[in-house]
Amino acid sequence: MFNFSVINHQLSVGQIEILGISSASMLQVGDTDTVSLYSMFDTPPESVIVGPMAPLPMPEEAEDISSDG
Amino acid sequence: MTRMNEQSEHSYPVRTANIGSICMISVSQAGCVQIGDRAVTNAKQIGVALQRQEDHPGAGDVFFEMYPLFYRPLPYFDDPGDDNGQVVSLHRTNCAPNITVGHIQVIAAGAASSIQAGNGMCLTGESRIKNVRQYPRPKPYPPIGC
Repeated sequence: MFNFSVINHQLSVGQIEILGISSASMLQVGDTDTVSLYSMFDTPPESVIVGPMAPLPMPEEAEDISSDG
Repeated sequence: MTRMNEQSEHSYPVRTANIGSICMISVSQAGCVQIGDRAVTNAKQIGVALQRQEDHPGAGDVFFEMYPLFYRPLPYFDDPGDDNGQVVSLHRTNCAPNITVGHIQVIAAGAASSIQAGNGMCLTGESRIKNVRQYPRPKPYPPIGC
């Protein structure tokens, strides 16, 4: 016998900000029993880029902090 | 896996989700937004993107059944404890009757996705996408002198 004990204490969240919820994914506020999420994606090899990522620009706030330091 | 769900005596049987506000810009193809409880969810999305040199009327129809990706079985979780008859006993204690979230902001939710404020029992999401590029095989050059 395998005993699994879960204690859910008080849960209070101020704000949730999400940019995107992709395919076959979920956002739930509540309890659940079983979740199964599958994703299969097949693409030609020439469309997959393996290499260094292009650097993204720094956020504006980070630029301010880095210039101050 | 065999499961036994139990709850202790000093516990709330069901927690209620309290949400102040929700702001969503886009929920696309077969996406689901629900405020409330739900028993079973089966969300499925399949898609083929075929890039051809010929046009589609000339090159023939495309069927999902042509590609094994769309009918291969889903991966199965092989639990060794299940073969041994092992039982998992789950004890859940809810100290508070509520889950509170002030504000939820979502820009976009994709296909076969689920946004839910409430309790669920069984959720299954499945996405199968295939991209194909179809070009004719290049003709070999004739040998020199022909």
